[in-house]
Amino acid sequence: MYAYDTYDHALVNARVEEFRDQVNRRLSGELTEEEFRPLRLMNGLYLQLHAYMLRVAIPYGTLNSAQLHTLADIADKYDKGYGHFTTRQNIQYNWPKLVETPDILADLASVEMHAIQTSGNCIRNVTTDHFAGAAKDELFDTRPHGELIRQWSTFHPEFSFLPRKFKIAVAGATVDRAALRWHDIALQAIIKESGERGFEVYVGGGMGRSPFIAKTIRDFIPEDQLIAYLEAMLRVYNQAGRRDNKYKARIKILVHEMGLDAYKDAVEKEYALLDKSNIDAPKAELERLYRYFLPPTLEVLSEDDEEVAALAKANPLFSVWLDRNIDAHKVDGHRIVTISLKPHGGIAGDATSEQMRLVADLSKDYSQNELRVSHEQNLILPHVALRDLPTIFKKLDAAGLSTANAGLMTDMIVCPGLDYCSLANARSIPLSQKIAKRFDDIARLQDIGELKVKISGCINSCGHHHAGHIGILGVDKKGVENYQLLLGGSGGEDASKAKILGRGFDEDGTVDALERVIDVYLRSRNDGERFLDTYRRIGEQPFKEAVYDH
Amino acid sequence: MAKKSEGPQIIIANRLDDGRVVFLSKAGGWSVTLNNAVQADNPEQLKALLETAVKSVDANIIVSPEPIDAALSGGGAFFEPSHIKYKIQSQGPTVRPDLGYQAADIKQAGTA
Repeated sequence: MYAYDTYDHALVNARVEEFRDQVNRRLSGELTEEEFRPLRLMNGLYLQLHAYMLRVAIPYGTLNSAQLHTLADIADKYDKGYGHFTTRQNIQYNWPKLVETPDILADLASVEMHAIQTSGNCIRNVTTDHFAGAAKDELFDTRPHGELIRQWSTFHPEFSFLPRKFKIAVAGATVDRAALRWHDIALQAIIKESGERGFEVYVGGGMGRSPFIAKTIRDFIPEDQLIAYLEAMLRVYNQAGRRDNKYKARIKILVHEMGLDAYKDAVEKEYALLDKSNIDAPKAELERLYRYFLPPTLEVLSEDDEEVAALAKANPLFSVWLDRNIDAHKVDGHRIVTISLKPHGGIAGDATSEQMRLVADLSKDYSQNELRVSHEQNLILPHVALRDLPTIFKKLDAAGLSTANAGLMTDMIVCPGLDYCSLANARSIPLSQKIAKRFDDIARLQDIGELKVKISGCINSCGHHHAGHIGILGVDKKGVENYQLLLGGSGGEDASKAKILGRGFDEDGTVDALERVIDVYLRSRNDGERFLDTYRRIGEQPFKEAVYDH
Repeated sequence: MAKKSEGPQIIIANRLDDGRVVFLSKAGGWSVTLNNAVQADNPEQLKALLETAVKSVDANIIVSPEPIDAALSGGGAFFEPSHIKYKIQSQGPTVRPDLGYQAADIKQAGTA
């Protein structure tokens, strides 16, 4: 993985000291809150309901063992012994003190991490496929491009005060595991018949109160011309995006109001004028970046392992875990392990410092010192030998990390909701816990199959409810929490917007309604159909009748 | 900005240096204990409390002061914010009662 050079170290360390000075000036009163707020936000520091919240970037979701150990140490030293992994492949601490945040940033810098541009109207932490570099269905590893985008966008003077926040995702597999089409800009890897590598470019996706699915603006941009094209796209947005109304300031609104063709024309004109040789990285620099992301040298092993087979036969939990949480690897005899952070009754995305240390140690001992954070709020061991799975399962199980529900309905995306967030209207976590309790039966979950449930505590959609096969949106109904069900969304390569089913429910009513929806699916499905497939085939009416006319 | 309210209100804020939730207290300072909050029963009293809060903002003690509806419950034994948001802000996350700054204080005061 990428290692900082002297420039990176100097840049990040300088930022730590700059923020230390800003905090001191704020505490002394030299800076007002109004002056300080944008400065702290550019360093990932929010003020939430109970305390400050620090959002730390995990660029393109990649970590090593030492970095996760440091994240665990920070949780113990400055916070309350846990962290929350988010849908943007970041980690959030919920209780840091303002006076200590410069020290936290210094600790992060010591392992080549930071909180730069995890908030504010700038280009945020770039995200990617959490199986990047390991997935069998991958065309090529897009993390070098993620790193290139990180370097290009960090402190970019022209794009530090955009009309609104800006999210870029890049992925290289045939299956979309990065919710590409829900991003401001998304890059899907393509290899031409000639062997030339590049990207299909999407623009204008986003959730929030006005959900849009991104559209293709360019069928192909060669990988060595990517940054100049991004620069042209951002430049047009920066100049034409609305700044008079924050709810209409995202690029999705600009593309919608201009029309894709007009926006594309403006971008192409801008692109034609750019001095690309001064923007795109030289070939030598690209090759330097690629070298950091060379795949680990893995011994090709047998695809059969007697010990694994025996344990799967003897231990049904291990068998289900193999079925749900293990994915194919590029190299025979190896697997990708998803560590679910969705224990039934737990809090989605939360990990204690002890759990983080265990996972960090597992990555060092069994996964080439590499880890990933998924946008679905789970952790990934990307390079595990098949023969090591029994040992890993045993260690995860002892730490409460062996929940075998990856991709099942209890593997929910859940925002922090009103339990932590000052913007939320309703709590998300208790509802997710009630759903998990109602469906706490692995055989039933397996029977239901792939089902993406996504819960947001407000219209800002941090819980991705628009992209849920079943989405749930919390609203404030005259001071009382209320939840709307949405059906038919997808964050995958078949991206679609979920549609509100009808009037909302209280917490218990929502769980009942959800169960009725699933009963309709189970009664109506054809062989091999996922919930989403059945919904698309039969439409919303049978679900509506089951929920409202029972 | 004061919200329209016909009932009693108190002032909630976050402490600048550590972000901790605090309440404008009877003693004129900022207390981490909800029950120490001073109550405004009419617009004039609320205006006076907000003026005190603004002085505390200017003195870099607190940020984001906000009046919230909170009536005395339990026969006058303890304050209870009327909106769930402020109940949670006062007591901590409902899903982690072991963590909220206020949980221990409220328990100590016999109100939870």
